[in-house]
Amino acid sequence: MENGEAGKKGKLDRYFYVMMLLLFGLTILSAVYSVSIGQVNIPFKQSMDIVLHMITNGKLGSLDSVQSNSYLNIIMQVRMPRVIFAFLVGIGLALCGVVMQAIVQNPLADPYILGISSGATLGATFAILVGFGSSAFLAQFGVAFGAFAGATITSFAVFLMASIGGKLTSIKLILSGVVIGALCGSFSSLIIYFANSAEGIQTVTFWTMGSLASSNWSKVPIMAVVIILGCVIFLFQHRILNTMLLGDESAITLGINLSAFRKIYMILTSLITGTLVAYTGMIGFVGLVVPHITRGIFGADHKRLLPGTLLFGGLFMIWADIISRVLIHNVELPIGIVTSVIGSPVFIYIIVKRGYNFGG
Amino acid sequence: MELNVAGIEVKIGKKEIVKDVSILVEKKKFVGLIGPNGCGKSTLLKGIYKSLMPQKGIVSLGDMDVLKTPQKKVSQQLGVVGQFNEMHFDLTVEQMVMLGRTPHKRMMELDKQEDYEIMENALKQANLTNYKDRSFLSLSGGEKQRVILARTIAQQPKFMILDEPTNHLDIRYQIEILSCVKELNIGILAALHDLETAAHYCDYIYAIKNGEVYAQGTPEEVLTSETIESLYQIKCRTYINPVTHGLGFAYGM
Repeated sequence: MENGEAGKKGKLDRYFYVMMLLLFGLTILSAVYSVSIGQVNIPFKQSMDIVLHMITNGKLGSLDSVQSNSYLNIIMQVRMPRVIFAFLVGIGLALCGVVMQAIVQNPLADPYILGISSGATLGATFAILVGFGSSAFLAQFGVAFGAFAGATITSFAVFLMASIGGKLTSIKLILSGVVIGALCGSFSSLIIYFANSAEGIQTVTFWTMGSLASSNWSKVPIMAVVIILGCVIFLFQHRILNTMLLGDESAITLGINLSAFRKIYMILTSLITGTLVAYTGMIGFVGLVVPHITRGIFGADHKRLLPGTLLFGGLFMIWADIISRVLIHNVELPIGIVTSVIGSPVFIYIIVKRGYNFGG
Repeated sequence: MELNVAGIEVKIGKKEIVKDVSILVEKKKFVGLIGPNGCGKSTLLKGIYKSLMPQKGIVSLGDMDVLKTPQKKVSQQLGVVGQFNEMHFDLTVEQMVMLGRTPHKRMMELDKQEDYEIMENALKQANLTNYKDRSFLSLSGGEKQRVILARTIAQQPKFMILDEPTNHLDIRYQIEILSCVKELNIGILAALHDLETAAHYCDYIYAIKNGEVYAQGTPEEVLTSETIESLYQIKCRTYINPVTHGLGFAYGM
């Protein structure tokens, strides 16, 4: 009996590790595939050699078989930063999604639920159509700064509004998010209504569709630091995230005051989401769908769910990026369109599928 | 462990729900709270485990001042089986019961073999051994309640509060849960609806009416026709049940 129990636990752990390894392997292969395609198609084998060469600093992967030096440049300078960027963005969105769903105890939450999307859009719209005037420092970062400021200011406003009367409950958070989101939305519309720049309005529209086109090596470090820090912090929060699923009343009896943790988590996720939105615009559905798919694989226990979600989020985004580039020849679709088009049917399938109870 | 509640007062908004209530639960005694719906039983219990902060009064558990001690420390000693609330996400029974270890864990600490053994034992005590891998949301009300009880047992509390733990449960689950709790051999404070159950399990009973202690004593002292008639505004006769030899109640309007 004792042996049997221990064996069972081992089997669950083994399932988890095998799945994680599988996801990791898939991610590497997908990344290599992603750098091999584009206007110039580079054979997969050669891409693999170049990537291996780069990762192991020349110990593995010989460059002898590479046909053209330009391949090296294309992969190293253009496509590699983009794949890494996509991977990081995917991780970040999935992380914020899973944490948000726990914070508001609602499976329909995503990173943008608490008004962050409308806030970021307002900030970006303002930056594009009105501008920050003569302030050289602000103008330099322009849209990115506007979006980041918009996102963080709105979540702070939501946070303050939900804190009125003491405890920060999930229902108060959602309602405040809706109200502040609507307010920001109408301000954005106001700016657009009075703007007389057709080009500017088009830029705003494109911005809201999300894009990875601006990725380059200089942007990777900031993104990497923010995302990795966020991941490290939240990977150790699985106990508290689990008690969040039980609700305030039960959490208190387990010694955890959820209200306090909601505040901390909300500040962290809005900083991460703000950074993501600043660089990529609005990329929908990833933060909503990915946690649900991984819940289907690993269950709702955050100890396993979190690492799984992060890896899967990265993988999902790499593929969304691939599809956005290959779907229509020589045209790069805005990635937000692709994620929504993949995301919605997947989400419908999850909901319709019998037996899925958001975890378990 | 002894629970001593002295002059506790709890308000919800501006309304005073619990007024100057004092309660004593001696070591390893099973103490019941009875009273009509809305009399303040639940609010009183919430005031004790600090889900609602009392405005006045002292709550001490052993030598711990509950109201001034951090929640985490309190929950290492005090377990609560509350009224069931909705959950939107699903966990397995094992994961649910493991959550009972939360108060004993530091932020980054992993679950050890010992924690798994405690969880297995808790499942055994709540008669749930075969439920380990079942999904919590797929269980019936009585099974869910037993999972919550197992989680509270895994918390290894020295004292347990139960807020109408047998609500909506059929007679078998009622007996199972209360017998399981009684066998823990720790101090218990439980809000109960069923008077026969209260008479059977409790060592001492407090009757609450309008947020105040209306009567207290052993079941025989408190569960009299007069007290029950006044508490619940019904007609009632008590008798000795010829089969169980326990207290029986006959009600009428």
